[in-house]
Formats: sequence, structure tokens, C-alpha cells
Amino acid sequence: MSVKINIPPFFSHFISDQTVVEVNGSTVGQCLEQLVTQFPQLRKRLLEKDGTVNRLVAIYVNGESTYPEELATPVKDGDELHIEVIISGG
Amino acid sequence: MAMLTRDEREKYDRQMMIKGFGEEGQAKLKKARVFIAGAGGLGSAVATYLTVAGVGMIRVVDHDKVELSNLNRQVLHWQRDIGKGKVTSAAEKLKRLNPRVKVEAIEEVITKANVSQLVAGFDLIVDAMDNLPTRYLLNKVAIERNMPLFHGAVHGFEGRAMTIIPSETACLRCVYRGAIVEGKFPVIGVTPGVIGCIQATEAIKYIVGIGQLLTNRLLVYDGLNMKFTEFKVKKDPNCQHCGDVKDKDSSER
Repeated sequence: MSVKINIPPFFSHFISDQTVVEVNGSTVGQCLEQLVTQFPQLRKRLLEKDGTVNRLVAIYVNGESTYPEELATPVKDGDELHIEVIISGG
Repeated sequence: MAMLTRDEREKYDRQMMIKGFGEEGQAKLKKARVFIAGAGGLGSAVATYLTVAGVGMIRVVDHDKVELSNLNRQVLHWQRDIGKGKVTSAAEKLKRLNPRVKVEAIEEVITKANVSQLVAGFDLIVDAMDNLPTRYLLNKVAIERNMPLFHGAVHGFEGRAMTIIPSETACLRCVYRGAIVEGKFPVIGVTPGVIGCIQATEAIKYIVGIGQLLTNRLLVYDGLNMKFTEFKVKKDPNCQHCGDVKDKDSSER
């Protein structure tokens, strides 16, 4: 199932300035695993060592928060996934 | 209801023309007491627009001194202010922008020990801070005191904004769970300008009682690609600050 992952400006330089990557998966976890396998530099930025979502990012599917299910959240063909990074500057 | 003077009627004529605003809305602004945490990039924009809109009182709190490297974005501080306390510098400009607005400058670090006292007696809190631990403190005190919180944050060309109405909407801790290692962050002045104006817009709407607030929605601004994206967020029943089970929060100062 094809899912679009929108990459935030924070991370796009790790993937040759791409802003969207298409992956296949039926859960958020499968989609992210495919993304970090393709772009290993993103792994530690998206996932903690225990495999959970990094606490500095939030994952949204079709504009809705996936918390607390996060990686277990189901996705279907055509869904759009956004990765957003917590920022704190003022 | 606070009465408007003839001079105020003329000064605020254009905004009172907005549907739903009127003299009544302006009188609400005149009565409003706004707490602004931070007199940096976000604080400069928020305080400027709330001042010219005619809020009654602003208390601005920040412990920093003005530095040369602040001047690309913190528009209330000028070259001649270097070395001065940011709140003193900000208060001077705000008073000149609108002499009728009462501005109180407090040069202090916001801590767990003083935050409740600092916000006491105010109608709302604007989060114009530059670090997450203090934002969490503001979020917690907003929930405890049932005060609305207007959140904003910036990094580079990116910004975030969200409005929190305690007990009704998702709070900052429902959305942000991590703790960022603090330090020097990249930013260009236009970004806190955009986000600070969004925070000020939200505060004005809340005070006047018009429009739809940015609640249960996180607004993400991407200036590089000039995109605004909105994400739906929800109250977390297990939230450390507003949930049913409140755990000790180790991220606080």
C-alpha cells in the first residue's frame, strides 16, 4: 500500500532535499521502518533505541495525531503521513 | 465595562469596525491584563501588536540582557539598548507606542517557585519563551489556574502555534512529550514576527470573544516552502499535566 511521507525541512537535507518519500506499509511503524532502511541517517532521529517513536518528533496521519498508538496506527493506500519535529526557540 | 475616551474611539476606529468587535470589544481589550513570558523574538511581536491593539495591561517577564546577536529578530531592542535588561528595553518602546497601556517589566527567571505568583491576577498567558522546560511550567500553571495559554515556538524559517484552553482542549504536554537540549538555535527575524502575530491574533480573539481559536490544532509554519499546515491534536487522558493521572514531570525547572 502506497503511503506518502512528508519530510520536514529539519530532515530533508539527510535525504538529498526530498520533501516527500513514497513507501509501502500497513502501519505507521512499517512505513517508518522502510524510510529509515532507505535513509539510515534518519533512524536515530525518528526512532528511540527501543524502537519507539523519538520523543522529539510527532507523527500525523492525514493531519491527525497518531499518539498514543503511534507505530501501531494503521494506514491505507493513499494515506499521507507527516513527521513533525518539536521546536522550542523564541 | 471600561468606557472608551474620545481619543480611544478615534485611535481604534478601524478595528472597532470589524464585525463582532465594536466598542464593546475594544472595552474588553482595555480591561484585559496580559502576561507575556519572554521579551525576545516572539515577545517583541506579541507585545507590539497587543500594545497597539489597546490591551489594558501587559506584564512582561525575562531575565536576559540585550545582546548584539538579538537584533536580527528582537525588534523591540535596538543598538543603543545593548547591555540593558530586555524587559526594560521592551517596556520603554511599548510605552511610547501606546502611552495608555500599562506595561510592567519584571527582570526575573521564571521558575517553579515563582511562576504561580507571577501570573496571578492576569487574564491570559502568552508563551514567548525560548526553552521547553519553562514552556512546560507555563502550561502547568495555566492548567492549575485555569488560564488560557497562547503557545508559539520558532526555529530557522519554521514556527508552531497553538492555543490552549484548560479543561477544554489539548494542552502543550498532550502534544509535546520530549525535552530538547537547550542551546543557540538558528532563526531569522521574520519567523518570530509571523508566529508572534498569530499568538497576538489569538489573544485578541479570545479577549474580544470572536472567531474560532486555534485549539486542538497545531499550526505548523514552513517559511522556506511558504506552507501553513494544521494538525489535529487531542487531549491525552494520560497527560502528565491535564490528564486524569498526573505524574511527576521531570522536565520542569
